[in-house]
Amino acid sequence: MAERDRPILELRGITKSFPGVLANDHVDFDLRRGEVHALLGENGAGKSTLMNILYGLYHPDEGEIRINGEPIRISSPKAAIESGIGMVHQHFMLIPVMTVAENIVLAEEPRTAGIFVDYDAAIRRVRDLAATFNFAIDPDAKVERITVGQQQRVEILKALYRGADILILDEPTAVLTPQEADELFAILRTLQREGMSIIFISHKLREVLEIAERVTVLRRGKKIDTVPREGATPQGLASLMVGREVLLRVEKPPVDAGDILLRVENLQVLDDRDLEAVRGVSLDVRAREIVALAGVDGNGQSELIDALSGLRKTSGGTIQIAGRDVTASNAHSRYDSGLGHIPEDRQRRGLVLEFTLAENLTLHDFDKQPFSRFGWLRPGRVVAWARSLLKEFDVRGGGPRTRAGALSGGNQQKVVVAREVARDPRVLIAAQPTRGLDVGAIEFVHRRLVEERDEGRAVLLVSLELEEVLSLADRILVLYEGQIVAEYGPDVTEEELGIAMTGGRIEEVAS
Amino acid sequence: MSDVAPPPEPKPASDPDALPSMAARLDLYQRAGGVITPVLTALFAFFVGGLVVLFTTGKNPIDTYKAIFNGTGLNWFFPWVHGQERFTAALNLQQTLIITTTLVLVGLAVAFAFRCGLFNIGGQGQYIAGMIAASQVGVAMPDLPHVPHIILAAGAGALAGALWAGIAGILKATVGAHEVISTIMLNWTALWIGSYLVGFAGPLQDPAQESVPVTEQISEGAKLNVFWGDPILQGLHIGFFVAIGCLILFWIVLNRTTLGFEVRAVGFNPEAARYSGISVGRNYFLAMAISGAFAGLAGGVDLLGWLFRVDLTSVQVSSQVAFIGIAVALLGRNTAVGIFFSALLFGALLNGTSTRNLDPTIFAPELASNLTLIIQGLVVLFVGADLLILYLWRARLKLRRKRPEAVKGL
Amino acid sequence: MRVESILQRAAHPRIEPGLALGIASILLGLIAFWVALPPLTTRTAAAPIAIGLAGLGAGLWSWRHGYTRLGWSGVCIAIIGLLGGLLATNAAVGNLEVVITWSALFAATLRFATPLTFAAIGGLFSERSGVVNIGLEGMMLMGAFFGVYGADKTGSWVLGMLIGMLAGAALALVHAAFSIHLRSDQIVSGTAINFLALGITGYVYIDTYGNEGTPGDLPQVPDVHLDWLGSIPPEGLGSFLERTFGQLNLLVWLALATVVLAWIIVFKTAVGLRIRAVGEHPRAADTVGISVYATRYAAVVVSGALAAMGGVYLSLGFVHSFTENMTAGRGFIALAALIFGKWHPFGALGAALLFGFASAVAPRLENVEGWATYGTLFQALPYVLTLIAVAGVIGRSIPPAAIGRPYEKQ
Repeated sequence: MAERDRPILELRGITKSFPGVLANDHVDFDLRRGEVHALLGENGAGKSTLMNILYGLYHPDEGEIRINGEPIRISSPKAAIESGIGMVHQHFMLIPVMTVAENIVLAEEPRTAGIFVDYDAAIRRVRDLAATFNFAIDPDAKVERITVGQQQRVEILKALYRGADILILDEPTAVLTPQEADELFAILRTLQREGMSIIFISHKLREVLEIAERVTVLRRGKKIDTVPREGATPQGLASLMVGREVLLRVEKPPVDAGDILLRVENLQVLDDRDLEAVRGVSLDVRAREIVALAGVDGNGQSELIDALSGLRKTSGGTIQIAGRDVTASNAHSRYDSGLGHIPEDRQRRGLVLEFTLAENLTLHDFDKQPFSRFGWLRPGRVVAWARSLLKEFDVRGGGPRTRAGALSGGNQQKVVVAREVARDPRVLIAAQPTRGLDVGAIEFVHRRLVEERDEGRAVLLVSLELEEVLSLADRILVLYEGQIVAEYGPDVTEEELGIAMTGGRIEEVAS
Repeated sequence: MSDVAPPPEPKPASDPDALPSMAARLDLYQRAGGVITPVLTALFAFFVGGLVVLFTTGKNPIDTYKAIFNGTGLNWFFPWVHGQERFTAALNLQQTLIITTTLVLVGLAVAFAFRCGLFNIGGQGQYIAGMIAASQVGVAMPDLPHVPHIILAAGAGALAGALWAGIAGILKATVGAHEVISTIMLNWTALWIGSYLVGFAGPLQDPAQESVPVTEQISEGAKLNVFWGDPILQGLHIGFFVAIGCLILFWIVLNRTTLGFEVRAVGFNPEAARYSGISVGRNYFLAMAISGAFAGLAGGVDLLGWLFRVDLTSVQVSSQVAFIGIAVALLGRNTAVGIFFSALLFGALLNGTSTRNLDPTIFAPELASNLTLIIQGLVVLFVGADLLILYLWRARLKLRRKRPEAVKGL
Repeated sequence: MRVESILQRAAHPRIEPGLALGIASILLGLIAFWVALPPLTTRTAAAPIAIGLAGLGAGLWSWRHGYTRLGWSGVCIAIIGLLGGLLATNAAVGNLEVVITWSALFAATLRFATPLTFAAIGGLFSERSGVVNIGLEGMMLMGAFFGVYGADKTGSWVLGMLIGMLAGAALALVHAAFSIHLRSDQIVSGTAINFLALGITGYVYIDTYGNEGTPGDLPQVPDVHLDWLGSIPPEGLGSFLERTFGQLNLLVWLALATVVLAWIIVFKTAVGLRIRAVGEHPRAADTVGISVYATRYAAVVVSGALAAMGGVYLSLGFVHSFTENMTAGRGFIALAALIFGKWHPFGALGAALLFGFASAVAPRLENVEGWATYGTLFQALPYVLTLIAVAGVIGRSIPPAAIGRPYEKQ
């Protein structure tokens, strides 16, 4: 076998189960020296578990790991680092209040007199390392103040500082704009040229085909196949991932939009640090249309939604729902004025997991008739109404008296959707409605949103997934640094959207 | 649809780094352990207490516990107990139930706050406030008929406790001050203000007794009726029914009213409650106030039932009974039924180890009261341990289910 | 290399006008009060009014520069200082001098602050690593008793001190095991060990010393005599320094040294960096190979030893005896000092000095004629002050990000 083809890393028969779940089922995987190998699969397919085993965060029940042909036991992240494995996690493992240099040298700090940290040496080393790979980074900056793209570079530098030969990247483009993703790919190619072997975990088909030489597909804990880039198509990969033909775009017959149901004029909102997050946003959403708000996380979406739903005070501008000015009213009265809100994090914000489904379904209206009278609850009515809703939305996993925490993610989201929709809102805000759901649940949510649109509601969709935005929206607004910078129809390209999402500037690649 | 249930582990939140509130934890323990775990916890605490006795004094712990048990009066329930023994048991049981009354109320105070995700350690201060308020109403208006006088005095006690706790509630709701520290500070503040009020030359001191730091005795019409036993020997007063009534009220408010719905929602998940339009701050305040009302009522009931007047000892020492409320609430898993039984347990323990009932030749009462503190500490300590419960839960599940199949990849 | 970076930073001063004004307003407010007190005892109302108004103005200006919280606290302190100064100008000079002998007051402040300082620094280590330590009170109590016990049994105050620290560390180990390994709610577990400490110390105290109390001839921690301070010119300064710092106990100096040591360790060493990392983002620390559990265990045990030192000072160094529950809530005040000091060693010291000052002033106020009857009331002063501090008058502090959350290793 040629030098280049000998695998630097081999995983054989890796099996790992958690209580009630078989996360990895005898998975084989190998990585050749200097290649970029993608690991593809849906949420829950077992990709992260496999890589966490490789990084020493989990211990496999069965199976073997070989590095350069030598079998090895990776018992902890420290052991993984010593074996030359570095990992860039999906949720960054960076300490926000510490500087870039501190984060990079943590646990392997340059010392004076053995116990004191030599901060100057640390800064020097970080600068040198960054220069070698052509990054631009300020070692003294606090991590909480640099951009997400830069944070990712810090993560990569962390791995390089510890001498990694194998780099694992877990869903690295989840938080990047298309431009930043291109920069990342350029960095990866540079690393590849320097001899790094890279594992790239993703669920995004197009990206995977762009960057990887080989793709391994996991489904439900099993490895399905490993295919080379030549000859692979998004459609083919998708079917491998899911096991059946998948509709990548939802059926959406065009309809005529009606009256303006949500009108926002020159809205200004401050964030938690009293900085301007929303700077004069104006938008309209009409009945029978889905307006999508696209943008990279951190450009004011959360603050905008909070302001629209009454959870955050505005510092200027007005909000009107169905013609009524609601700018000054609180969340409770906005729900009464015709607002529906499917919040971002269903387990933290959408549901009270310890409550029953019936209680969750009445979370907005428990203090009104017929569910209560003069402060006195009437459980019989609550349960009956819940039962009919659960049936209508085909919620599986329990009845009205089941705890919400016992349901799967998809069913939990159905409960949230059911609650909001059944109140017959005029305006429906859906924030990241399909995050963390598998393909089947995503299909359900998308179809439902289109149905609600057809029923005459005004739907405002806020999403970080460009595919979702392009699939569902009648109109697309791009939010950048707190302002609407562009408006498109549904036939815009991803490239155009990406450019608008970064403010319309085309940045240099890997400066 | 390919939706399948997640692992059957009863996690309060899916985010492994999320912080479950006390309400969520105790709900989890209840579902996981049912009645068994509190009983096991109590048994284990007593076992360790017994070890302490054995190693420090060399005495037989069984004899010690038996001596304590005889003092509790619980043997009155045994049908084979007759004659003089039965009479003594009755007296002891009355005393136990008097203490149980207080413990139920302070336990409810802590539990109600826990249900809203708040830790009310301020029971002592609220008890003092209630005691003093009730005594003043009890002393004033000596011509008021019996029933209204009691209601007013007890109500004053509850109100005073509510206001005192409300301070911490407002601070939590507005500036987010942690209620543990603020209530503890309020405890000491109440203790010193109370000591000042009833102390020498204090404004509430009985003018007829210049050399004794004590308030006036409340009028006869304000004293709670004794319904079992001899009033001279301090039999069981109707405050017991007040406590039972409060248990029922607790259950009703939490489970059948909209206020209770909000309190529970905030207790389990303040974020989701907020997103749903519920005012978290308002509920923090109300939960603390209601919690304080229970504790203040405890002080009021004790005053009207057997203290009859406030002195330095009652302000500084008797008020410490409020801390046992924490153990009572936790052992009782914040539920009405649980609180009753754990209050009974601790009431029995306190009575059985008191100087009146415990034979010093078997075990010194001062040591025994410290032993009680240790047992309390152990109970609270073990209640706080997630993993023990989870291990028990998994063991229970394994008995019920078969081998888990591959249901969904992670 | 180091000098270069220092010079670099000096060249770009980061003091902005708003910040300077805010600090100035606080200082002016304090000075407005001080000018009316001994030794200046200005009698004209004009002085405090003028200075107070200047402070008010500075505070408002600072607010307008964007320093909302600092500005408003400056305004508040200026107003309080102005009013206090006005009142003081009207008070009899004799009374003022009775209360305010600065040297004695400062010395007393240092003495009262020492147990708080030790415990607060102990709490610093624990909380910086992410573990809430409500049990400082219990650990302090363990140190207080076992310090006396150890000194009595071994005849040496050094050994007594070490035994006290060991006792505190042992209790802390229990807290650590339950909070870290068993993932208890840290506040509940801390409360439990407070009960345990009360019970254990009370139990062993009565068992060993019974009714007579601790012996009167306990080995004492020596004072440090700095007579040479008196010869520092000018004469007034010298005698002032000698009276304030000349006769302080060894442990007082040790406490100050501990503060400096803590600052060095936490901010300058690798160990400190890792502790902070574990407290901010334990998962990140885990992924670079730091043992979260080991770090937290060590930090909590150290906090127990330090809090116990505070207790040792209280019993062995200050009152030379032990009484049950003698810590009287100081552990909680120390925690409040930590929060008030924003989890920074020097901030915690400052807060401890402030609370120590309140404790030092309280008994002196009793000596003012006409205020003697309010004596008991003044005992509440430190607790009320802590309450106000906790209420966030000086701004909400931001704790280590991962504090209070149990870490789940998968």
